[in-house]
Amino acid sequence: MKKRLRERIASWIVHWAIHLHRSGRVRRVKERVRDLLENERNPYKKLFDSFIVFLILSSVFILIWEVKHPLPVWLDYYDIYFVSLVFAVEYLLRLWIASDFAGDLVEEYERSVAVGRPFRLAKALLKGVRKKVAYMLTPAAIIDLLAILPAYRPFRVLRIFVLFRFLKLLRYSRSISQFVEVLAAKRFELLTLLGLLVFVTVTGAIALYVLEDIHNPQIHGFFDALYWSLVTITTVGYGDITPVSDMGRVIAIAIILFGIAMISFATSVIVSAFSEKLTELKEDRIVEEINRKEEFLIVCGYGQMTKMFFRHSDAKNYPYIILDKDPERVQEAIHDGYDAIVDDASRYATLSRFNVKGSKVTVLCMTHNDVENIYITLNAKSIDPRIRVIARAGSPAIVRKYERAGADHVLLPNQVAATMMVTAILKPTMYKAIHAIFTAQNVALLDEIRIHEHNALIGKRAGEVDFRGFRLILLGILKSSDGTFLFNPGDDVVIEEGDVLLVMGHRANIEYFRESSCLEEGKCLR
Amino acid sequence: MSALKRGKSVVFGYGKFGRSVADDLREGGEEVFLVESDGARHAEALEKGFPHAVLVDVTDDEALATLPVEEGDRLVCVMDDDHLNVFLVLSLRALFPHNEILALSDSIHATRKLKMAGADQVIDLYAVSATRIHNILSKPLATRFIEGFLDANHKYSFREITIPEGSFLHGRRLDSVDFRRYGVIFIGMIDVELGNSFIFVTTGLEHKLDAGDIIVCIGHDEDLDRFERLIVWKEEPQ
Repeated sequence: MKKRLRERIASWIVHWAIHLHRSGRVRRVKERVRDLLENERNPYKKLFDSFIVFLILSSVFILIWEVKHPLPVWLDYYDIYFVSLVFAVEYLLRLWIASDFAGDLVEEYERSVAVGRPFRLAKALLKGVRKKVAYMLTPAAIIDLLAILPAYRPFRVLRIFVLFRFLKLLRYSRSISQFVEVLAAKRFELLTLLGLLVFVTVTGAIALYVLEDIHNPQIHGFFDALYWSLVTITTVGYGDITPVSDMGRVIAIAIILFGIAMISFATSVIVSAFSEKLTELKEDRIVEEINRKEEFLIVCGYGQMTKMFFRHSDAKNYPYIILDKDPERVQEAIHDGYDAIVDDASRYATLSRFNVKGSKVTVLCMTHNDVENIYITLNAKSIDPRIRVIARAGSPAIVRKYERAGADHVLLPNQVAATMMVTAILKPTMYKAIHAIFTAQNVALLDEIRIHEHNALIGKRAGEVDFRGFRLILLGILKSSDGTFLFNPGDDVVIEEGDVLLVMGHRANIEYFRESSCLEEGKCLR
Repeated sequence: MSALKRGKSVVFGYGKFGRSVADDLREGGEEVFLVESDGARHAEALEKGFPHAVLVDVTDDEALATLPVEEGDRLVCVMDDDHLNVFLVLSLRALFPHNEILALSDSIHATRKLKMAGADQVIDLYAVSATRIHNILSKPLATRFIEGFLDANHKYSFREITIPEGSFLHGRRLDSVDFRRYGVIFIGMIDVELGNSFIFVTTGLEHKLDAGDIIVCIGHDEDLDRFERLIVWKEEPQ
């Protein structure tokens, strides 16, 4: 009878777990909560974070205020119930998203069905609970839990736990959490040091207690000796307890000497931890910075080509980041004043750090190695086909491979230069003209004018626009409707939204034309 | 087409750059004289059918002096070795002070040295490519357009047209001529008096056309051909 009841309960729980596990709505809600709490790019996370930070700060402020001033009742209620309630909800939500309890249960159930073994509910539950407990034991979760405690009225002592709310800021302040991370990396050294500190302090305390307990009126117990030992070893030396016998002073000397050595050791450990982590932290900041941009370049490889690329006057127009595997090259780039990080762009993890979904990303493959360039091209295209890839190729034979890998533009430096050379010889006038146009001299700039929705030219025919009056030459129109390029368009070609006009003229004239054809100021820029 | 007598191109080096430069020049109808200091490459050039290819040690000034360089010839230095290229430019400048020297460079440092050595025009491999990337990024359409000219199977061309004696264009003001009705775009003129420099129409060129003036137009080849046939007429066709 009892056994059957137990089986009933087990099957009940399993059914409930399966139901939860398969429910799309639950999963969606959970995803959204997770997104809100953990996804840095979620726009609402910032709002949520600021809200929590406000609660923390107000709560701590109330704690201090309350020491000397009477508190209005509503503020007391706010602090004790509202803030704690929000924190409690936050805690529960974090616990909820920490692991998939129902999923674990279902998985265990399915496994036992698959191998034909009787399902043991207790074991499955234990597995789920263990994961939750593992989360609850993380420092962040413990702090979260303690921060809720001040709400428990009967123990006024718990008020001091408001300070744990302060610690909650750790989660919400990046610089503090990074500091903790850095220290955590040196856990072994610091713990060794701490162990040594405890050992010497206790030894000193015991020695002083044994030697001076009788003579010294300041020492009332072992705690006093321990307190003195710590104050001395840290070189703080309040002086409220001082050794009176010669033996006591010898102990003090030994402890002080040890203390100085230990402090310098601890300092050096922390400093070295920081200098080791500093570049990494800086790189993270650079990546974060660039990810906020709408459009940016990822330049792979810092060689001749990249250097030349950045020497160009247009280079400052784009946000960029340089990646190179070779730390020496990156050093050189940083020395030349560019933002560069050591990373291998052919790795999935490297490129997926960037905000390829939200921004318009262009990858320039400029390493000397074709194999590497192709690998980077493939990598970028596999992460998101929308990433534009411009690659340099070493030989004409390999261009096909780049195209198959999905590169949008393939450039053969040798061929580009050879073509220029041949043009300079065979068609010197054209070479001069093209050179002038491409090096963007003011006189004969070749420029593109995009017809945005606020453009006065929409619906007009090419013949109606007074290009001559602006001293511009209309060379062609790229029609947005079918993507064809009309060279020297006839007068009756109608200009539509999304078209691109290719014009040539003085820079000032082009700017003037652009401005005057714009209906709403500032909205027709490229 | 051009008023000047065109000499031949003397190409030094048949290596990774020289090969494509020499091949393209020959394809473009240029007379090419090849100079190579490596036996195997010299043989390759002969095999490819370059009638004028000589095997000369380019570090030897006496040997260089015997080369059949005439007035109006262009000296094209495209040796693979940067150092050798600079050395060659230096020797050639001393031997042939009045010839145009063009050189290809594959580093910033070499560009500067080649200019100091006396090259008239230096094409920097990386600078040209870097500029191309910038153009792809900021002006994709314009880049494609210009590439249309450079491409071997070009869609449109760039043509210098000398106004013939007795043409209807003679004596006309520039702004009174509607070039667009002939399907061509007038973009500038060559000023012979100013050392063949090119003047863009967009500078606000005001000029009365005379026979002998050289105008520069772009357009489809057939339109340009037709235009060239038409301008010999005395009356403007209606």
